[in-house]
Amino acid sequence: MEALEMYTTDDRADVYTEELKLNLGPQHPSTHGVLRVELKMDGEIITSSRCDIGYLHRCAEKIGENVTYLQFTPYTDRMDYLSSMNNNLAWSLTVERLLGVKAPERAQWLRMICAELNRIASHLIAFGTYGIDIGANTPFFYAFRERESIMALLERPSGARMLYNYIQPGGLRRDVDERWADDVLAFCDEFERRWAEYNTLLTNNHIFIKRTANIGVIPQHMVFENGATGPVMRGSGIKWDLRRDVPYLEPYDAVDFDVPVGEGTHGTLGDCWDRYWVRMREMMESVRIIRQGCRALPGGDVMDKGMKRMYKTPLKPDPGEAYVRCENPRGELGFYVVSAGETSPLRCRARAPSFCNLSLLDKLLPGTMIADAVAIIGSLDIVLGEVDR
Amino acid sequence: MEPLLAFFSEQFGLTGVLALSLAYAVCIGSLLGFITVYAMFAIWMERKVAAHIQVRFGPMEVGGWHGWAQSPADALKLLFKEDIIPSGANKLLFWIAPAVVFCGVFAGFVAIPFAAGVQIADLDLGIFFIVAIASIEVVGVIMAGWSSNSKYSLFGAVREAAQVVSYELPAATALLAPILLVGSFRLGDFNTWQAEHGWLIVANPFMWIAALIYFIASLAGCKRAPFDLPEAESELVSGFHTEYSGMRFSFFGLEEYVSMFLVAAVMSTLFFGGYTLPFNLLDIGNLPAPLHLLGVAVLVVKVFAVIFVQMWLRWTLPRMRVDQVMSMGYKYLLPWALFAVAGTAVWHVGMGG
Repeated sequence: MEALEMYTTDDRADVYTEELKLNLGPQHPSTHGVLRVELKMDGEIITSSRCDIGYLHRCAEKIGENVTYLQFTPYTDRMDYLSSMNNNLAWSLTVERLLGVKAPERAQWLRMICAELNRIASHLIAFGTYGIDIGANTPFFYAFRERESIMALLERPSGARMLYNYIQPGGLRRDVDERWADDVLAFCDEFERRWAEYNTLLTNNHIFIKRTANIGVIPQHMVFENGATGPVMRGSGIKWDLRRDVPYLEPYDAVDFDVPVGEGTHGTLGDCWDRYWVRMREMMESVRIIRQGCRALPGGDVMDKGMKRMYKTPLKPDPGEAYVRCENPRGELGFYVVSAGETSPLRCRARAPSFCNLSLLDKLLPGTMIADAVAIIGSLDIVLGEVDR
Repeated sequence: MEPLLAFFSEQFGLTGVLALSLAYAVCIGSLLGFITVYAMFAIWMERKVAAHIQVRFGPMEVGGWHGWAQSPADALKLLFKEDIIPSGANKLLFWIAPAVVFCGVFAGFVAIPFAAGVQIADLDLGIFFIVAIASIEVVGVIMAGWSSNSKYSLFGAVREAAQVVSYELPAATALLAPILLVGSFRLGDFNTWQAEHGWLIVANPFMWIAALIYFIASLAGCKRAPFDLPEAESELVSGFHTEYSGMRFSFFGLEEYVSMFLVAAVMSTLFFGGYTLPFNLLDIGNLPAPLHLLGVAVLVVKVFAVIFVQMWLRWTLPRMRVDQVMSMGYKYLLPWALFAVAGTAVWHVGMGG
């Protein structure tokens, strides 16, 4: 409630204004999908908020219990549809752990490169749409220009532009062509130049800083209470990244990269600007990882030989359970799978980062203005497909 | 107006009320025609400027050459669209709000000197008239927001009401600096003064501050980014015109572009020499009468230069928050505008002016 006092002046105390209930969404330009937030407003200031989710619920987890392990991979594409590669990766790793197999080395490196490319694409959307949330329309088009290049790169091995279904239990669906790694490297060079443009255009814009610094401050205890992960957590200065701390792919150990955290550059630690800046720097770290990956890409097969044989009939893992979590662009995506020895899982659960990050929203909104609410929702960078699943 | 009346009495022997009403009809008709053509061009230009800033092409299909017919086509479409009035709306207010908005801005054109003699009314208080009449637009916006029976519209209207005071004050104050120097409120006098002494923006070291402040405040006056809070499409969907559709909606769009022209024309006239050329290269005021129209071309070029900057800013800058706009208006623009006025006064007293 400290923020509320910031806007409230003494002379307002004796003025009674009616409380206004405002539905932000489910159809609203800035809720990043079909999120509905019930706001109670005192003029421009929000006094309380309640998130209403579920408008995009597609029973993905229940479907997981009724399809085979391999058939569920495309469904993971559609959870966080902006980072399908990472979702495929988390699901594949979970099934692989259940089966006790491991992808070949080349597949592991390619998985890392694809996942990082997809992370850049996902952060580009976060960057572009955040610009629109704050009222600058142009960064969006710049971001989509580079995202287009990434989608073209990922389309070459996978055949799809958004929902790749490329990383599969046991390895990859097919190998990349021989010029692919060079083209990825060329993209990295190009992207570094573009990234500097973004900062000129938006990051260091005075109005942008004014609109995002000191807004939506997430203290560290709130991060832990709500299980927030990813850039939302790192924006509050917590240096935790599964790629570094619990490397789920072997190549992450072999490459050299930093974990950017928020520093409170323009205000309080953990404000919207910090989260935004963490994402921006993560893109550069991903470029670093991709560069090292493309240069060190080993040869060999991309699919486990034993798995290839297994694919002829539906997979039947031995009874047991597995949980694997991966560092997605939005935070830790975990898949929990229980097998009863059947062709489909007994339980298939996804721990979605957007869902946990969104739980912060109701705590952040009271006391801010409606324009700040838009900035805060944008800085959490949620994908409703993943919140509702 | 006066040349037109003279023309009527000489050629047709018309005088009195008939001649007056005929002259008004001609003036308003030509002004409306000009505004319509201008608005269509400006909307096309905005889309092109935006597109090229955003690494794309914009309209390219309609009409052939670079989509020149996109705006007429859009206007035609809006004309034929169903006119929806929300069931809970206050019909009367909802109906007249676009007209009020448009009329306020349109009336401002009466006092604009397009060229020597090409002016509907050379009012003694021309600048005051424009500043005052353009503010009527705000009433229309509030009417639109209130009558729509939509919370987002209401927010847009309240924002406009909150915003208006914070930008009108610095805008009007900044205009005092050139007024002080020229010693007149009559817009025609600014053209003759600048033909003699050079552009007002370089008349003293304080004048550019006044020009800049007027420009910033006029952006807010046109509800353009970074001050497009009443519309704020990422926050308020479409702000005060969320519930409008068809022709009524297009009037709000038209009003935005027309008011852009108005403030740009005021800015050009007050700071950038109006319809005169720098160093009085071409003494347009003393040319034979038909060549006065050259002045219109000069003014329009200057106006479009200002409009281009407005568009450029809109597609570059993020939007400010409502309290930031107000604090900027009161805490920065207004004191600096006063400083510019005081500086102008001191400078010219000190220089023996």
